[in-house]
Amino acid sequence: MKKTGLICLLVFLLVPTLYTFANGEDEGAATGELTVWCWDPNFNGYSMKQAAAVYTAQNPDATINVVDIPENIEAKIEAGLQAGGVGLPDISLFQDFIIEKFLQNYPGSFVDLKAEGIDYSQFAPYKVGPMSEGESTYGIPFDTGATGFFLRTEVLEAAGLAPEDFYEGMTWAEVIALGEVVKAKTGKALIAYDNTSFDFLRIMVQSTGEQFFRADGTVDYDTPAIKKSLGILKEMNEKGLLYMAEGWNNWIAAYNGVDDVDAAGFINGVWIVGTLKSQPENAGKWMVAPTPRLDGFEKGRNASNNGGSSWYVFSTTKAKTLAVDFLQNTWAGTSPEALDFYNRILKDAGAMGTFLPSREGSNYQAEDAFFYGSQPVFKDFSNWMAQVPVLKYTPNYSAMRIALNNAMQLMYAGDLASVDDVVAAAATEYSQISGN
Amino acid sequence: MLIQNKYHRYLNRTGWLFIIPALLFYAVFMLYPIFSSLFLVTQKWKGLTREFVGLGNFVRMFHDMIFWKALGHNFLFMFIQIPLMVFLAMIIAVVLNQGIRRFRGVFRTIYFLPCVTSLVAYSVLFRILLQTNGLLNNLMINLRIIPESIAWLNDPFWAKMTIIIALTWRWTGYNMVFFLVGLQNIDGEIYEAAEVDGASKKRQFLSITLPLLVPVILFSLVTSTNGTMQLFDEPNILTNEGGPANATMTAALYIYRQAFVLNSDFGYASALSYVMVLIAGVLAFIQIKVLGDKKS
Repeated sequence: MKKTGLICLLVFLLVPTLYTFANGEDEGAATGELTVWCWDPNFNGYSMKQAAAVYTAQNPDATINVVDIPENIEAKIEAGLQAGGVGLPDISLFQDFIIEKFLQNYPGSFVDLKAEGIDYSQFAPYKVGPMSEGESTYGIPFDTGATGFFLRTEVLEAAGLAPEDFYEGMTWAEVIALGEVVKAKTGKALIAYDNTSFDFLRIMVQSTGEQFFRADGTVDYDTPAIKKSLGILKEMNEKGLLYMAEGWNNWIAAYNGVDDVDAAGFINGVWIVGTLKSQPENAGKWMVAPTPRLDGFEKGRNASNNGGSSWYVFSTTKAKTLAVDFLQNTWAGTSPEALDFYNRILKDAGAMGTFLPSREGSNYQAEDAFFYGSQPVFKDFSNWMAQVPVLKYTPNYSAMRIALNNAMQLMYAGDLASVDDVVAAAATEYSQISGN
Repeated sequence: MLIQNKYHRYLNRTGWLFIIPALLFYAVFMLYPIFSSLFLVTQKWKGLTREFVGLGNFVRMFHDMIFWKALGHNFLFMFIQIPLMVFLAMIIAVVLNQGIRRFRGVFRTIYFLPCVTSLVAYSVLFRILLQTNGLLNNLMINLRIIPESIAWLNDPFWAKMTIIIALTWRWTGYNMVFFLVGLQNIDGEIYEAAEVDGASKKRQFLSITLPLLVPVILFSLVTSTNGTMQLFDEPNILTNEGGPANATMTAALYIYRQAFVLNSDFGYASALSYVMVLIAGVLAFIQIKVLGDKKS
């Protein structure tokens, strides 16, 4: 009798304590600790830290650690997912082109944020597509990779060209003609091209509104969009209009010098603005023209996209409530603080969000003294972004781009003579490395 | 008799107790993975999803020319780079040991340094030095050694040369140390006797040094062979993921990419690993035969 009483007392005392322990991390939404992985401390890392500052200012009991993973972040995440979540953060940034592979191969590993109450009608639709499966949507869209044609006006001037020569609606044939003028007058290439990267071809193909994959997810290299784009690259290379850089740093060095450059410009996403501004001496030299278009494509636009990434919450997180609350009130938040934060990261890091209400921010309209003639570049990018044709990725996007990029390298090396050979070589390699 | 039996049983039990920790680690970290991988190779295993495919992964492997090409690169590096490196290591060791008297320690340190530098740091530096408009090309053009820039990283042939040069730079000093030890174990009296008999320096090297260094040469060859079969870092960082266009792809790098870069294909990566194990086994067998004979 005594014993039973004692046990009852113990249980009575213990249960609430255990209950608190078990729920310790998840109890209040605004307390606890979150870890976030991303890969560029000057860009997405900076932006996430700003978001964290906005949130912790209102919720002082929450701690958010932003960790920079400069190399192989996907391999690290993959190893963590294989190990049932060991060593993974609560939130991580994923490239838009890679997320479908993770959603398909790791079912149940990501928190369905739509079910948690995020309103996706407020985000750019082209970002929401790849992160959705059936009724579920998993990510919080971060930035756009809307592209532009970045040009050094002093090089154009030396070639006797005016900024107006690069205009809305221009085609690649016209660009090649202007490139030949630059080459003849200055000896410089028109475009810095990263030989190890697939980005350039992707930008060209996406601007046509066509795809790398058929509707059923199988790869299709033998299309007019891909072959025409390859043909233009081949022609530009043979005419010496491309400066062949070996990797990312070499590519940046080719156009970002202060006194001299190897190429008059390049084409890439808006996120490169931060890199350009890291050379303040170049203020007033850069202009951004629209992305050139390919002739003969009905859905083609003078706009494309390269890069862009989004935030995802792992289902192994012990602080799901906090993670969702954090994302909801910053990246998907319409409070003045949240919108102001979007406005700030645009100016400071060149991070252009895809949260539609943030478009009203003052920096989206402002003139930017860093650019030639104080061009309001973010206003232009914002307009181009609205026209970007949607690109289909599929889980095999990595294999698709690696196979095609390898074939392109053989084309530049002179080992593959015609565009048809390049397309055939890419198809062969794709079937071998993907097993499809 | 009885006491002795008991004593033996006691010894036995203590013996087992001593090896149990090692055995446990072996079972958990070696036996279990080996047996579970036997199961894995029969699966189309992508991420957390699995599907039985029997020998499908091996059928795919036989049609995968990229893998066979990558394996070919392993053997290419093995047959060209290792002899070159071992020869260089031996020459440097002999010169350091007998040729020069001053600054011996300094030179030894200089030659050994590459193999203790950070791999990423040296790969990045090499990338900068070897760019088409990089220091090496500019230097050689200015000295009129080459008429135009060499695409060390962008040309399929020169990229292979880059890997060979980088590997040699990194590991020659490491092997040189073995040769230095080998040289110091050769009795000085042999050379004295040879000198009395009027043997030239060249003759001494060929008839004394070289034969007595054979065990070291074999040791160097064997350890380097293992390293080359597992070659991963240089093609991954220096020539950018086995580029250009798979010209420096190696088997280990390809296996890693199947699992972690392409489409999470762990089943296929396991199947490819089995081929690597088989090759490593054959090579080990040859090595044991060669080394074992010399010892007896």
